[in-house]
Amino acid sequence: MSIGELAFESIKQAVDDARVERKDIGNVVIGNMGGWSQESLPAVIVDEYAGLSGAETMRVEAACASGSAALKSAYSSILGGEADLAMAVGVEKMTEVDTSTAVELIGRAGSYFWEFENFGMTFPAYYALHAVAHMNRFGTTEEDLARVAVKAHRYGAMNPLAQFQKEITLERALGSQVVAWPLKLYDACPLTDGSAAVVLASEDLAAKLTDTPVWIRGIGSSSDSANLSRRKSYVGLEATVRAAKSAYSKAKLGPEDIDVATAHDCFTIAELMAYEDLGFCKKGEGARMIREGQTELGGRIPVNLDGGLKAKGHPIGATGVSMVVEITKQLRGEAGRHQAPIRKGVGLAHNVGGTGHYAYVTILARD
Amino acid sequence: MSEEPSLHSRRGLTLKFDLPVSKTREFWDSLRNKKLVTTKCTKCGNVCFPPQSDCPKCMGGEFEWVDLGRDATLVTYTHVTVRPPSFADTAPYIIAIGELSSGVKVLAWLEGVRREEAKPGMKLRMEARSSMEGNPYYVFVRA
Repeated sequence: MSIGELAFESIKQAVDDARVERKDIGNVVIGNMGGWSQESLPAVIVDEYAGLSGAETMRVEAACASGSAALKSAYSSILGGEADLAMAVGVEKMTEVDTSTAVELIGRAGSYFWEFENFGMTFPAYYALHAVAHMNRFGTTEEDLARVAVKAHRYGAMNPLAQFQKEITLERALGSQVVAWPLKLYDACPLTDGSAAVVLASEDLAAKLTDTPVWIRGIGSSSDSANLSRRKSYVGLEATVRAAKSAYSKAKLGPEDIDVATAHDCFTIAELMAYEDLGFCKKGEGARMIREGQTELGGRIPVNLDGGLKAKGHPIGATGVSMVVEITKQLRGEAGRHQAPIRKGVGLAHNVGGTGHYAYVTILARD
Repeated sequence: MSEEPSLHSRRGLTLKFDLPVSKTREFWDSLRNKKLVTTKCTKCGNVCFPPQSDCPKCMGGEFEWVDLGRDATLVTYTHVTVRPPSFADTAPYIIAIGELSSGVKVLAWLEGVRREEAKPGMKLRMEARSSMEGNPYYVFVRA
């Protein structure tokens, strides 16, 4: 399947769901990292294939948060009055190269010259540095990390769109191949081809299009140094902390208001750090949340009920948009077997690019 | 690679980049002489690693090369077993972040230590190395 064909599947669903005419969409922003796929200009390739040529368009890159960057860009064009109707599309084709080439390319997603050229960083290695720091400081264990993977697969098995739809045991996760100690194969998200799309409308237009709108209450975004050596600590991601603070402030809501969330779990340690950095618990208590089942369906704050990046899959540029699609389904009560109870009508999507190089937190709410 | 039906492209592309070092040449030249230096802004005194000729703190463009120091403490580490293909000929390696006594942190390999022996807080020392191609680089070793 080509990148245009892959994007079309989601674009068609989004356009049909929103009941809009493509000619009325003034701005189409494509989240895509690329490098492993053949097309250098994915925005115009996708637009041409889906009959969207003529709209304002561009590809945006914020590594694994490219999808959220696309959403933010489309959202801003509406807030600024430039467009009444906009679309954010995330798409990534990661299997046009072999796995080892993909490992090489992702390992370069940091500060190439100072981290990769001489020292061969890999994406798991970046997060393993955080895992070791977290384990050393707070007593988080390899079992705690494996529990996150088991949870992801449990919900992946309930999601017909997930890449992995089979449950796994703690023993299997712990016994899998070490890739960058302490992280193992089952601590890592897979390479994925995928796409996701959302239609955004101005407040006035949304009122005409639907009786059940889901509103963006706030998008917070931040960044951090390219070189990991310049970070203050390795037990969390400062970019997430700042993005969350900004999103909560814009939405005039707090972590206690969130019914359901997606957290960026490219690696199991990333989900535990996200619980803490998003304010779902105190710093250092992430492992306790997973041990006590607080982030399970029926728990205090269910996280990644779609299987997360770990089981649903992580098509880099599509992930941020896919998270917003999932939260939208949850808030509408359309999430099927993995539907969370919705009390306050508020959901949160947390999307990280690289290793906390970029972070986006989006708060969504229904009326 | 994709398992779905596909045509194998006839057009290959090999990328090898030239790594520009004109503004940080002193660092690499010193490293060849087994010395570790970095940049210090003469206006605000900010010490940077990696070295950079323009100060990210005050935007000052004047700097001096200062001794980086060698004594460090292990902050965190990982043991990389699944390596990128361009490191296929290298045995699995420990990547460490060490904090120098100046407070500056450095990411580099930790050599001569088994994974089970590494522990945050352990004392390290930085050393200069040279690759088989003659490119200088630096590592941590146990102090």
